[in-house]
Amino acid sequence: MKFSALSGLCFTLLIVATPSHGQEAASPVITIRKGTAVVVAVKELGGNAGPAAGAVLKNDLQLSGALSLGEADNASVVVSGSADPGSFSAAALDKTGAVVLKKSYGGDPRRAVHAFADELVETLTGSKGIATSRVAFVGNRTGHKEIYTADYDGGNAYQLTHDQAISVAPHLSPDGHRLTYTGYQSGYADVYLIDLRSGARNRVLKFPGINTGAAISPDGSRIACTLSKDGSPAIYVTTISGDSPRRLTRSRGAESSPTWSPDGATLIYASDEGGAPQLFQVPAGGGRGRLLNTGFGYCTEPDWSPDGKRVAFNVRVGGTFQVAVLELGSGPARVVIGAGENPVWGPDSRHLLFARGTGLYLFDTVSSRENRVIGDLGKISEPAWSR
Amino acid sequence: MKKTVVSCCLLILALGACKKVQNQEYAGVDGDYVNGTPLPPRQEGVSFLSDSVQKGQFAPILFGFDRAEVSPNERPKVQEIASFMRRENRNVILAGFTDERGTEEYNRALGERRAQAVRSALSQEGVSPARLQTVSFGLEMPADPAHGENAWAKNRRVEVGVVR
Repeated sequence: MKFSALSGLCFTLLIVATPSHGQEAASPVITIRKGTAVVVAVKELGGNAGPAAGAVLKNDLQLSGALSLGEADNASVVVSGSADPGSFSAAALDKTGAVVLKKSYGGDPRRAVHAFADELVETLTGSKGIATSRVAFVGNRTGHKEIYTADYDGGNAYQLTHDQAISVAPHLSPDGHRLTYTGYQSGYADVYLIDLRSGARNRVLKFPGINTGAAISPDGSRIACTLSKDGSPAIYVTTISGDSPRRLTRSRGAESSPTWSPDGATLIYASDEGGAPQLFQVPAGGGRGRLLNTGFGYCTEPDWSPDGKRVAFNVRVGGTFQVAVLELGSGPARVVIGAGENPVWGPDSRHLLFARGTGLYLFDTVSSRENRVIGDLGKISEPAWSR
Repeated sequence: MKKTVVSCCLLILALGACKKVQNQEYAGVDGDYVNGTPLPPRQEGVSFLSDSVQKGQFAPILFGFDRAEVSPNERPKVQEIASFMRRENRNVILAGFTDERGTEEYNRALGERRAQAVRSALSQEGVSPARLQTVSFGLEMPADPAHGENAWAKNRRVEVGVVR
């Protein structure tokens, strides 16, 4: 909707072609209308894994929101390629036949297709794609709340914890390699840090009282969290190993869900110090907090977008939990999802993940299109997304 | 309602600003702990869920929706725990819970806030805060799994676990 004022304007996007075989390819010129997605056609992929890879690629391009799928005769870009177990190669050509992007990958074709999709989105739009990102969430299919991880489209879903206690509140580090969560296996709420590549797990926060809501800073060196060791649930920042806790907030309220600005200098969190919960902003190094004027009377679970421009959060309207987005500096907030909990931003600062009932949903804040990506792991809650 | 909240917060910030020389380091009002005393170290191997803790000896302390104050109606329950603790040399774990409404992490913080409120009330009754540990389960483990105000009223609670 934001683009409607600009929709009459055409602009030219210059794309630097990947030179192939020492041949100097001409720079293809694609004219696109701003606000409309570039139309991409995907030809039937060759190779043993071709049909499956083609389906993943088409789904990636469609879910990107930035590109749309079409037929070869009306597409600006046509993709062809082949996939076999252990290899994937593809080329995207413009209407003149010039190479827009040409790549070969080893390893799992599914991961390779996601990588190609992200590169194509970035080449054509200049924006970061979401296809290679990872997500984490809570599912209770086993009868216990456990942490699961998956590709952003729900593929490769994997049960990460087998604690058989209460394992909740997962957060992924921005690079997706580390995950923090709140586990109750000691009988208390403690924070665990898992290195997803080695599988190593450490209990990093185990202060008396509550330890929860751990969010790893953008540079990976610190954890923001809720602790109550000093007598009130408040926001603290610790080192990545849980040492040297520094208290940032000091109210009689319940304070929760700290979320980092992209530069790691500021946190936004929820506090009910004034009655119903509201969002506040505080310098991560300590300092005075200030109320964010959202226009809503009940705001929880904030998540700051990777581009720093907006925050998504839950609002309670007439007993229903809705998802609202506040454009920082130009509020008030607007409701974008009529029913859903725990919104989190994707790497493109455009898509949100949220939980509703037994579903994990991907939501495009530009088109308002919603796709369920997980639906068979019991009740879903508290998604997290790498950046 | 919303305006009241905003103006209250502005007032708090304004009051804070007047005293800012005292404390630049924290958001909110200076000196504003629920309890002035930090929690004692955990007793290794002892938790609200372990066999070494007896549950159900005392009636749960109940709370209003989104509230974390011990109401005058609930005060006698606190006094009963306090008089037991004056007689017996036992430590207590206070477990805070919420109803199923509300988002998960906010409920975890709210449950902890309720447990801290009971800890504060017990210390006002003369119990040493060093004998009181807290834990919050948020919306997990409802006392009544039904949906509706009857169940919710029972679920907004602090349960008392007596360490054997």
